[in-house]
Amino acid sequence: MSSQTEGSEGSILQRYRRRHAGTYRSIGRGWERFKTHRIGVVGLGIFLAIVAMAVFAPFLSPHTLAWRAPSGGAASSLSDLASSTTSHPAPPQFGDPYFAPLGTDHRGADVLTRLVYGSRTALYIGLAAGLLSSLVGIPLGLISGFYGDTWIDEAIQRVVDIMYGLPFLPLVIVLVALRGTTTTNIILAIAVTSWLNNCIVIRGETLSLKERSYIEAAQVAGASDLRIVFRHILPQVLPLGFVYLAQDAAFAILTQASLAFLGLADSTAISWGIMLQWVQVTGNVYNALWWMIPPGLMITLLAAAFYFVGYSLEDVTNPQANP
Amino acid sequence: MATRISFRYLLKRVLVSVVVIWALLTILFLLLKAMPGDITTRLLNPNIKPADLQNLREQYGLDEPLWVQYLKWVRNYMVLDFGYSLRSPTPVIDLIIERLPRTLVLFTTAYLLNLTIGTLAGIEFGWKRGSVEDRTGFMGGLTLYSIPYFWLAWLLLLVFSYQQFGLTWFPPGKMTPSFESAFSSVELFTGVLWHLVLPVVSLSAVGWAGYMLVMRTSMQETLGEEYIQTARAKGLSPTAVKYKHAARNAMIPVTTQAIVGIAFLIDGSVIVETVFSWPGIGALLVQSILNRNFPVALAAFFMLGVLIVSLRLVTDIVYTYLDPRIKFGENQ
Repeated sequence: MSSQTEGSEGSILQRYRRRHAGTYRSIGRGWERFKTHRIGVVGLGIFLAIVAMAVFAPFLSPHTLAWRAPSGGAASSLSDLASSTTSHPAPPQFGDPYFAPLGTDHRGADVLTRLVYGSRTALYIGLAAGLLSSLVGIPLGLISGFYGDTWIDEAIQRVVDIMYGLPFLPLVIVLVALRGTTTTNIILAIAVTSWLNNCIVIRGETLSLKERSYIEAAQVAGASDLRIVFRHILPQVLPLGFVYLAQDAAFAILTQASLAFLGLADSTAISWGIMLQWVQVTGNVYNALWWMIPPGLMITLLAAAFYFVGYSLEDVTNPQANP
Repeated sequence: MATRISFRYLLKRVLVSVVVIWALLTILFLLLKAMPGDITTRLLNPNIKPADLQNLREQYGLDEPLWVQYLKWVRNYMVLDFGYSLRSPTPVIDLIIERLPRTLVLFTTAYLLNLTIGTLAGIEFGWKRGSVEDRTGFMGGLTLYSIPYFWLAWLLLLVFSYQQFGLTWFPPGKMTPSFESAFSSVELFTGVLWHLVLPVVSLSAVGWAGYMLVMRTSMQETLGEEYIQTARAKGLSPTAVKYKHAARNAMIPVTTQAIVGIAFLIDGSVIVETVFSWPGIGALLVQSILNRNFPVALAAFFMLGVLIVSLRLVTDIVYTYLDPRIKFGENQ
């Protein structure tokens, strides 16, 4: 065939493309299906917008993080100084005497700037916790499913059963309180408790895939267990893994916000949850709406974006759900 | 079989629950021992005399081998002896007993509400899949599901309790007549109910979507089954098909979700109790963690775990009893 001879002579890139043409086609089909879920496209849009916000934070925010609003003219006397401390948090100002479209917080920092930079922490926490949960949950699910009905499966499932019985947030609270309130500890504590869903779902999927004839064929052909699991089963369950990655990410962001609200997050970090904590600590929940509303809105938007994408992906990966 | 639940099944479930509680205890012990220093180095004046320190360590049993400490720890917790609060000379168990019913009232109300609203909405959206109602409801539910509990509670308080919008319909937490006195008169009882409204709304507005999502998908799958076509072809009314044939069969995944959802709702009630100063176990946990009052914190955590385990057991048994299709443990 002419195409084949061309293929062997083509550049590495062309050969690579030809070899993975099937993968491209199936991704293309998945994308077509995904596009029919308007909610998923909306979620992806919000997610990309927030990613852009995190990447271009220095260009999008009106001030640097170190910037503090001047407090009501030059402080020439003690009484000026005293009044200046009460003038923050201040409602939105547009240029006179300074520019702060979402007002300032208790220290005179610009709320919009903190909001823009906070997207970095939020994405970091969401994606890191989601990835960690997948890295623990997917392999354990694969193993548990592939060796279904053996002692390995039994052992993993008992651990999962026990962990499901633990109170999630209280456990994270205790873990963080004992180990210190750094962002890394928070991510670890969330991941320790949130890999369970991934594990259970991947196990179920593996159990059913294992019975398919193409797996039997591979076994007869002499493929090792490892090869079957990683070469033939993993690619099939990976889309489902992404569904749960998205849901774990959303859950992690909400958990971090809860911990911040309880005073159990690193209060020097620049994050939306911490902003809300400062709103509360300084007693401004009900009288500094310009400061209280935006961070909560951003948390909701990002978590919702992850859920929107996750649930649309679930539909894509599970065609039976929508006949 | 006279009763649908065999003794063996019951025994198995109870055993699993006991193992979970034991695991909980062990994790707590390990966490406590993994802390740098021990309770004496954390809490006492660093200028304490070495002899006094030794006495205290003996009193707390900290000089014994680790395994003895572990056994004592497990035994004490099993008989609900949690020691004393570090802030006051009250036994921790008294604090727990005082607060347990309050948490239960808040939790049960929100749980039943979530389950009812979520399932009904799921039936509705699944039945009319792809319609405007379905898409709006699905998106709205997911959005509510993404709101941090405490932030929603703040918004509710802002609108309904403080003067900004001229509405002071509901009290902003802080019950003045105590919870227990509520059962002494009708007036006080309605007072407590009034305090319950906003916390329950915060919990349910977020939580119902969990059940809706599961019920909706399950309903869609069920509607594709052949027996639904048969029911339709027989000329049954749409209502009969929807509730009697489709919804009843689509309920199974919701039962699983109902069991998983217990832990999720406990998370929410920890937060909501704190926002509304609802004096329950969740608020106790947070308060004592922040005060570094570890005996109380660990006991509160343990009790929340026990609460989840027992609620799961009850839900599990109730569902198995109600649903003839669930096999119960003879041979899976």
